[in-house]
Amino acid sequence: MAAVNSRRGSRLLPTVVLIAAAVFFIMPLVAIARFGFQNVPTVLLGWSSLFKKWTLDGITGAFRDRNFGPALGLSVKLAIGTVFGTIGLLLPTAVWVHLKLPKARGLVEFMTVLPYMVPGIALVAGIKVIQPHARWFLNSPYSLIPYYVVLALPFTYRSIDAGLRSIDLRTLVDASRSLGAGWGTTLRRVLMPNLRTSLVSATFLTVAVVLGEFTISSILLRKTLPVFQATYRSSSPRGAYALSVLFLLGTTAVFAVLSLLTRPKSARVKKIDPVVAAVTDEALATQGLAT
Amino acid sequence: MTALEFKSVRKTFGTNVALEGLDLGVMPGELITLLGPSGCGKTTALRIAAGFEFADSGTVSVSDVDISSTAAHKRNMGMVFQSYSLFPNLTVALNIDFGLRTRKVASADRARRVDEMLELVELGRFRDRYPHQLSGGQQQRVALARALAVQPQVLLLDEPLSALDAKVRTTLRDEIRRIQTEVGITTLFVTHDQEEALAISDRVCVMSQGRIEQLGTPTEVYRRPSTAFVARFVGSMNELEGTVVDFRNVSISGRTVAVPAHGQADGTDVKVLVRPEDLTLVDDGFPGTVTSVTFQGATTLVGVRLDVIDRLVSIDVGQGDADHLGIGDRVQVALNGGNAVCEAA
Ligand SMILES: Nc1ncnc2c1ncn2[C@@H]1O[C@H](COP(=O)(O)OP(=O)(O)O)[C@@H](O)[C@H]1O
Ligand SMILES: [Mg+2]
Repeated sequence: MAAVNSRRGSRLLPTVVLIAAAVFFIMPLVAIARFGFQNVPTVLLGWSSLFKKWTLDGITGAFRDRNFGPALGLSVKLAIGTVFGTIGLLLPTAVWVHLKLPKARGLVEFMTVLPYMVPGIALVAGIKVIQPHARWFLNSPYSLIPYYVVLALPFTYRSIDAGLRSIDLRTLVDASRSLGAGWGTTLRRVLMPNLRTSLVSATFLTVAVVLGEFTISSILLRKTLPVFQATYRSSSPRGAYALSVLFLLGTTAVFAVLSLLTRPKSARVKKIDPVVAAVTDEALATQGLAT
Repeated sequence: MTALEFKSVRKTFGTNVALEGLDLGVMPGELITLLGPSGCGKTTALRIAAGFEFADSGTVSVSDVDISSTAAHKRNMGMVFQSYSLFPNLTVALNIDFGLRTRKVASADRARRVDEMLELVELGRFRDRYPHQLSGGQQQRVALARALAVQPQVLLLDEPLSALDAKVRTTLRDEIRRIQTEVGITTLFVTHDQEEALAISDRVCVMSQGRIEQLGTPTEVYRRPSTAFVARFVGSMNELEGTVVDFRNVSISGRTVAVPAHGQADGTDVKVLVRPEDLTLVDDGFPGTVTSVTFQGATTLVGVRLDVIDRLVSIDVGQGDADHLGIGDRVQVALNGGNAVCEAA
């Protein structure tokens, strides 16, 4: 009897924590959603008005704004560019560090956290150094991509690093090379398929960062989606918040589908790496704050 | 002509010397085992052959072509690793197909070759399984098939059996040898297990601390070890104290025993290393007392404490001959020094 009780007791605590956390995340979202999709004055948003006057007016208004399309387009392109930039740069680097400089792993890991500590404004100030040499580059809105790659580093590097730790990297690479595959083929045909989970979460994190980043793009006067949202908020608060909710749900749905589609064909139940899980939670939280 | 040749290959990691000028030639179709304790440089030699590491000095050549600076993926070598190395995301058939694809073999030929390989390792039924659905032994057989699929010039195996349990280890060992002879491929096989080395090899290369101690057939290495290290590492040995009489004789507690020629000066004290099967129970020899009788199937190992030199020796006694022996029995032991090794004490 005592044993049963204690087992039940040990399940109770996690359940409570889980529910508390869910409430903590969901309540603000619900509040924003009601503000964005209900045509009810804020002071009257109580239990009694829960099912009254739901409307898509706010969001359709936002869609119709002439600045919305270009802002969405730019952010999507930036997101895609950043994902490719991140994976193209980070995966080979992380593999190289793991194979050739295993001792430097701690140092590299520390370096990737720096963007988390250095304020965005300081990163922008760094432009002064390259400005005289790369005016053509800075004139392009895509000059945001390197910033985003750096900003996403604390999340993406951890995710890829955790993935590399979970496979027998050296043996797989050696096996692939002894079978005639060069580094490129090895990355494409051996490493990427076996790092699916961590690459998908790195992609998710990158997109979350790009769609949530406001400071740098606004300082550099780029009309990205978050900048549009902030401007639009002053003219139509309802529309701006409706948009935030939509993006959050939208990106989550896209990645749910994506991670289902990229599940290993062997349908093996892969253990979710705790590090990846933690990082994912963190990114969700940042995205939540950004909305 | 040698199929694979190391010439004065030296390799250091920092101050740690892994290989001290390795000279070794493998003949076409021959299987040579690198045998030695952990850390003696076996894996390093193999990785240098495969192109995963590069030697500090010296050369590696395949069929007399120097490949010392060729990148790993351009060398035509098959390798089987100690740890499971199959690509987890690919089925058995696709794993075997991997090397054929990277070599851009036509797809019809690839399919045929994969079938051939599956048949060779007798795993046809498992072609659509994923690696995690196979046992360790099956995974290593697929790894072997994958390595051989591309028809490499040389096959390299780095302790492919050490992660398997004893029973699977012997069957797979014999199967590797069967396949190797069937395909006729030049092979370098690394192991730290002397029994495995003796069972599988054309020649055994015993290594210690980055150097070759002896290179010879399994019989030579076992029967005529050229150094005390080899004698101790390959098979078991009894150690007896003696004194050198001349270059072919030693005296052990007053009895003169003929031994193979050795380099020790007359009158020095030596350790004489003798295999258990070179000791026999006789009517007139070194007296001693039986301390243990261990039945081992075909032979029985008898432990005897010799009176005069106060040494515990083990003796291989043929089937049935030890039936009447019990602990505490008094016996006499004779010693055949024909395969003994003398080492300065
Ligand atoms: N990558 C490496 N870095 C540093 N030392 C190494 C490395 N690889 C091997 N060594 C050292 O070289 C020696 C030989 O190693 P190895 O060839 O792996 O031995 P074996 O395979 O016979 O056990 C060992 O002392 C080992 O510590
Ligand atoms: Mg080794």
